[in-house]
Amino acid sequence: MSDDWMNLWHPVATTGDLPHRHTFHGKLLGRELAVWRADDDFVNVWENRCLHRGVRLSIGINDGRELQCQYHGWRYANRTAGCTYIPAHPADAPAQTICNRTFPAIERYGLVWSGEDPLGEVPGFAVLDDGAAFGLRSISVNASAELTIAHLAEYEFQPVGHFDGAAATMTADARSELSVTLTSHAHEAASTAVFYVQPVDADVSVIRGVLSETPADGDQIVTLRHHSTELARLRERIEADAASRPAPTPMVATIEQVPRSLSAVAETPSGRKADYRVVVARKWETAERVAGFELESIGNPLPTYQPGAHIDVHLPNGLIRQYSLTNGPGEGSVYRIGVKLEPGSRGGSSCLHETVREGDVLAISAPRNNFPLRRDSVKTILVAGGIGVTPLLAMAQTLARDGLDYKLHYFAQTDDHLAFAPVLDRLGDGVVRHLGLSPDDTGSTLTQLLAEYDGAYHVYVCGPGPMLEATRDIAADAGWPDDAVHFEYFKNTTEIDDSSTFEISLARSALTLDVPGGKTILEVLRDNGVPMPSSCEQGACGTCSVNVLEGEPDHQDVHLNKSEKAAGNRIMTCVSRAKSARLVLDI
Amino acid sequence: MIKLYDYVLSANCYKQRLMMDILGVGYESIPIDFYPGWEHKGDEFKKINPLGHIPVIDDDGFMLRDAHAILVYLAAKYDPTGLWYPTSDPELIGETAQWMLFAEGTTNTASAARLHVNLGYDFDIEACREGAHRLFRVLEEHLWFREREGLDWVCSGPHPTIADLAIFPDVILSEEGGVSRLEYPAIRRWSDRFKRTPGFSTMPGVFPAGHL
Repeated sequence: MSDDWMNLWHPVATTGDLPHRHTFHGKLLGRELAVWRADDDFVNVWENRCLHRGVRLSIGINDGRELQCQYHGWRYANRTAGCTYIPAHPADAPAQTICNRTFPAIERYGLVWSGEDPLGEVPGFAVLDDGAAFGLRSISVNASAELTIAHLAEYEFQPVGHFDGAAATMTADARSELSVTLTSHAHEAASTAVFYVQPVDADVSVIRGVLSETPADGDQIVTLRHHSTELARLRERIEADAASRPAPTPMVATIEQVPRSLSAVAETPSGRKADYRVVVARKWETAERVAGFELESIGNPLPTYQPGAHIDVHLPNGLIRQYSLTNGPGEGSVYRIGVKLEPGSRGGSSCLHETVREGDVLAISAPRNNFPLRRDSVKTILVAGGIGVTPLLAMAQTLARDGLDYKLHYFAQTDDHLAFAPVLDRLGDGVVRHLGLSPDDTGSTLTQLLAEYDGAYHVYVCGPGPMLEATRDIAADAGWPDDAVHFEYFKNTTEIDDSSTFEISLARSALTLDVPGGKTILEVLRDNGVPMPSSCEQGACGTCSVNVLEGEPDHQDVHLNKSEKAAGNRIMTCVSRAKSARLVLDI
Repeated sequence: MIKLYDYVLSANCYKQRLMMDILGVGYESIPIDFYPGWEHKGDEFKKINPLGHIPVIDDDGFMLRDAHAILVYLAAKYDPTGLWYPTSDPELIGETAQWMLFAEGTTNTASAARLHVNLGYDFDIEACREGAHRLFRVLEEHLWFREREGLDWVCSGPHPTIADLAIFPDVILSEEGGVSRLEYPAIRRWSDRFKRTPGFSTMPGVFPAGHL
């Protein structure tokens, strides 16, 4: 094999090899591949190995959106191959570093082309470019690609419509290292075919043939049979030749090491990074005063997301705002968010509503999930107030797909205020609409909904502050423990008191720093070169959370619940401070 | 109730369980210590089957041995639709018989390789594997052209027959015997289709297909 085959595009399957919800088992240059078409028509070419125990993903289940390993049920997303769910850890979101290796895929001439590290374009064959190309049955040969292409140059076939007549004369029109274009002439008729040899391994190759013209309906099967028979005869000759030669050294694909601690690897991005550029592919009014946005990536594919995740959107006016993704499982070709025009907008929602238009480019962060969905819940209640429905829509679609027991209770003023109606319609009975309720009626409805608590029930609430607080109080009264009540605030309306001064010791970095009044822990850390991720920077989202080893935090955030605050072992560094003179942080 | 002299890892016993699960026929499994106990070769079991192999069924006193013969009996007796063993159509029943004989071939090659690797039999493993590939190439081409003709199964009818059922376990377990199916995409698509047959059940080493 020549080294530059690693930089070529090779056919790895035919289009017909990827029917609905099938996973194709392929191999190229000694590397096994799992190839599958998702319901959105995207063709995935992946390393054929689950990152968990190395089981072949080609025996996995293609559910149209994700590929699920048969062994322990790890799920990988369409397009990104990022892991979205680990059934053994149903309460946790998988680390975003768990991502399978992907290879590019292009469909052309009825073949799926991929490669190790392909440069340039998929090979072009002028004779096939008029759109009438007709794929032949691929033939696998137990011989090297070099030997197969050498014999293929001598392949003889009859033109369409003249299979029984006098033997045709053959001409070779073009030839490359791995392809040959042959024309058969007989009875003043001619047929041209391109044959490309796929190097599967050192001693296996596949002949992938394409005729330049599609025969008339009545001639198609007989044409396919003719080539199937003649290529099988050619294969016998090639294999007999291969058997008389020494066996070639097997190809060895380089397989990246998977770190043992893979599932425990934490992310450590610093600051408010906006690594992705997206274009507003669609902007529409999805409900009264609510604009829907479809954000499509420019360049890099969008990263894997999980239900409950949000992104930072960097606006043209310099502001940064967080919006939850509404996407269901495996819908990663675009991100969908919903933005409500706030009456007292400080420039975030009004900019998105009034300034940003379809075709505009925005910078966004990778998705972060501080509102993860547990999947070990016997019953899940999702409570949405107004635009708070967005993360819960992603959750509802995931729970519906997994066949888990859930209900999405959507509180809104009127029908016209219900956002993302098509998604709600698809969820059918999973959605209960509560329209036009007064605060008191909302309270009594919530009391009914939360009347019953059983060990493995979980409730997720997202909506305006007063509604969240009411829900938390009602749940607590009905006996729901704090860890069964999950919530996400839009914003922190607490008046922040940043007057205290204290010292922080960083246990891992062996640094002691002073936090003066008027500065946050986060700012002090960054000023001293300690990388820290953050997002909302107002104590709502939970991105800048740090573990506390010693000292008493002065919590001023709305991310932690009462018991988490009382435990005192985590702190939101963007707003919270210390009651004690010193805090020891686990960074 | 039908008694099935059974071993969970046997492909031929799986064929009977699969047929009865698909037809909704209840049965009692009588486990035989096939490996490592070799119970089917013992004197006691030879009173049930002097050939010393399983499966054997006992349907209310009617005893029958040989996997593919039992499939004929079960389908003929318990499938009121007549689709699995289509006796009313001479061509279709002829094809069914032809592919049942083909299944004898896959049993004696692909499944034999698996018995050699996993369950202590001493066969000429290379001959088994070569034989399996020879048959798989024929099946691959056949199924590929079936798809082009709009047909899903080994015989020409619109519904799977006991021939599909007889071939399926030998094919789907072949990798345990060292017979890769990498070269056989049409066989793999047919396997997926077969797994979606209503009532389909699995065994160790056989995984279900996803929903369409």
